[in-house]
Amino acid sequence: MSILEAIRIAIGSILSNKLRSFLTLLGTIISISSIVAVISVINGLNIYVEESISNLGKGVFVISKFGVIHNRDDLFAAIRRNKNLRLQDGLAIKKACDLVDEVGVEIHASAKAKRENLSIEGVDVGGITESILDIEPFEIDAGRNFTRSEIVGRSYAVFLGNDVREALFPDTDPIGKKITVGQRRFLVVGAAKKRGSVFGMSRDNYVKIPITTFQKIYGTWGSVNISCRKAPGVPIDEAMDQARVVLRSRHHLKYKDEDDFGIVTSDGLNDLWKNLTAAIFSIATFVVGISLVVSGIVIMNIMLVAVIERTREIGVRKAVGATNRDITRQFLVESVILSCLGGFLGLLLAAALSVIIQNVSPLPARFPLWAPPMAFFICTTIGIFFGLNPARKASRLDPIEALRAE
Amino acid sequence: MSSPGKEIIHLDNLRKTYVMGSEEVHALDGVDLSILQGEYVAIMGPSGSGKSTLMNLIGCLDTPTSGGYVLNGNQVGDLSEDELAYIRNREIGFVFQTFNLLPRLTALKNVELPLIYSGIGVSEREERARESLDLVELADRVDHRPNELSGGQRQRVAIARALVTRPTILLADEPTGNLDSTTSMDIMKLLNQLNKNGNTIILVTHEKDIARHAKRAVVIRDGKIISDGSTDTLGEETSAIASTESTSYSHSEDPS
Ligand SMILES: Nc1ncnc2c1ncn2[C@@H]1O[C@H](COP(=O)(O)OP(=O)(O)OP(=O)(O)O)[C@@H](O)[C@H]1O
Ligand SMILES: [Mg+2]
Repeated sequence: MSILEAIRIAIGSILSNKLRSFLTLLGTIISISSIVAVISVINGLNIYVEESISNLGKGVFVISKFGVIHNRDDLFAAIRRNKNLRLQDGLAIKKACDLVDEVGVEIHASAKAKRENLSIEGVDVGGITESILDIEPFEIDAGRNFTRSEIVGRSYAVFLGNDVREALFPDTDPIGKKITVGQRRFLVVGAAKKRGSVFGMSRDNYVKIPITTFQKIYGTWGSVNISCRKAPGVPIDEAMDQARVVLRSRHHLKYKDEDDFGIVTSDGLNDLWKNLTAAIFSIATFVVGISLVVSGIVIMNIMLVAVIERTREIGVRKAVGATNRDITRQFLVESVILSCLGGFLGLLLAAALSVIIQNVSPLPARFPLWAPPMAFFICTTIGIFFGLNPARKASRLDPIEALRAE
Repeated sequence: MSSPGKEIIHLDNLRKTYVMGSEEVHALDGVDLSILQGEYVAIMGPSGSGKSTLMNLIGCLDTPTSGGYVLNGNQVGDLSEDELAYIRNREIGFVFQTFNLLPRLTALKNVELPLIYSGIGVSEREERARESLDLVELADRVDHRPNELSGGQRQRVAIARALVTRPTILLADEPTGNLDSTTSMDIMKLLNQLNKNGNTIILVTHEKDIARHAKRAVVIRDGKIISDGSTDTLGEETSAIASTESTSYSHSEDPS
């Protein structure tokens, strides 16, 4: 008997008892859909983190006053020890470090932006050097980046994030128009592409202005962040070390002193993040693994019941020439189909769930392409593993005993 | 087809004993029987005499408690389960006293069943099953399930299933038990034809009229053969047995 024949017979018996088949599937549907939903969320978070939290490009590191703070003690020590970073620190790194290709400096404040009767609150105002737009990077949708002379000349030029542009210029071209940020009037020179939102927070509610203009308005006391991009072909660690040495000497640190600044890399952030998601992932896998075993046991139970119920059928099949292998195959195929069908429905449910999560909750979810083959593999394994015992029971029945069964 | 007259079935002191608690039931109590290729044998005897038990043993469905069974020159006791399955599939067609049809399947699918295990493709399978159902005049009931058929129609489906593999040996346990005399005669004509074509036929019956179609009658009682001879001599001694049985006694069949 061919496997195709076994599949045909198995589908026949699954369909002849639809309700019970569905209840059997439920366990697999729930476990597969929950593991895939968890994977989708983690996958979505990972992609999101890679693209955005550390939206630093590859080979970029950021020197800031605090860096990545791991705990409260860290924070207090850093507050006591660390100095504010200045624009001149960035310029010095640029001048002294040949392993660093490009340096950008940025400092932040928050303000309200207005134009005529339109306004938007809580805008992140970034005072930058022109290279920041390159390093981060911000994609320019209209207009241009700042020119060197605008930066040096403390001009009132502004580059708009997409939210600000949409709020203040709902249906007009912003380039060349004037807006008010805080108390000053700025000339719009460019606008960025939309970056989207994360955890429900928009990443487009910002404006960029020349850092010199920023310091004229807000003063020079605040600490800046220095973004550095390593030269091509240089290990990022060496570029970081070179920048550290420059900063340490500018800060007159002794050999044994700790750094009084922090360095953040996209790799570092990603590692931190990956550790976290790996932990979530392994817990989820463990829980779902248990539920998969439970659904396997459900399938085994149902198959054992099916063997008893269909003893007579097995007797008839054997009487007309089915071999033990034919019978084993029929029942094994049935349990594999049951569990794979459960897995398939589970995948559909998970795909629907991740669309819902994506749209309704602030969590990003991305259905990974390798989920279907993985689910198929897991389900086949479960079907075979838990189907084997009932199938062999069926195949070992004595034909005449089976025919006599009620 | 091999030469007629060759011994195809040989039973040697065959016994089947069921142990029911402290009691032993000797369903077959030392049966010696030799059947030649192409023979047409009727097995008769009162209810409970061991006819079905004998048929199940000959059909390789059951194993004897003791004694020897040689089928086509092979000691059946030495065959593997796969070889037995092969014999049940290709050599033997079995019409069960209780039909043993699968309730979920249509008549057509029931008849196709043995062919699945012969590895025959879908279209040939269906064609042969239809032919077989045609032989038993059920062409207009192919899509009915067993519970949508009358007792006699079920019996005919069971016969069609036994014939569909074109077996060399046909074992029929009361194939006309549920049929009116006209249909019975049609079935018997079919069996006669099969026998003329060289098939070996063994049939269990209570009716002398039916038994007379066979050339040889074996009568058993309490698990022992008490007479074995030409159906022409089916005389007083067997009619005494037959009269203790109502020829129309009904079976409590399962619709399956
Ligand atoms: N599985 C079994 N367990 C115990 N005893 C059995 C079993 N099968 C048959 N028997 C006994 O063996 C004897 C022979 O049974 P069998 O079915 O061969 O009779 P039969 O000649 O076919 O009768 P009938 O004409 O009523 O079909 C009976 O006494 C029966 O009770
Ligand atoms: Mg009987």
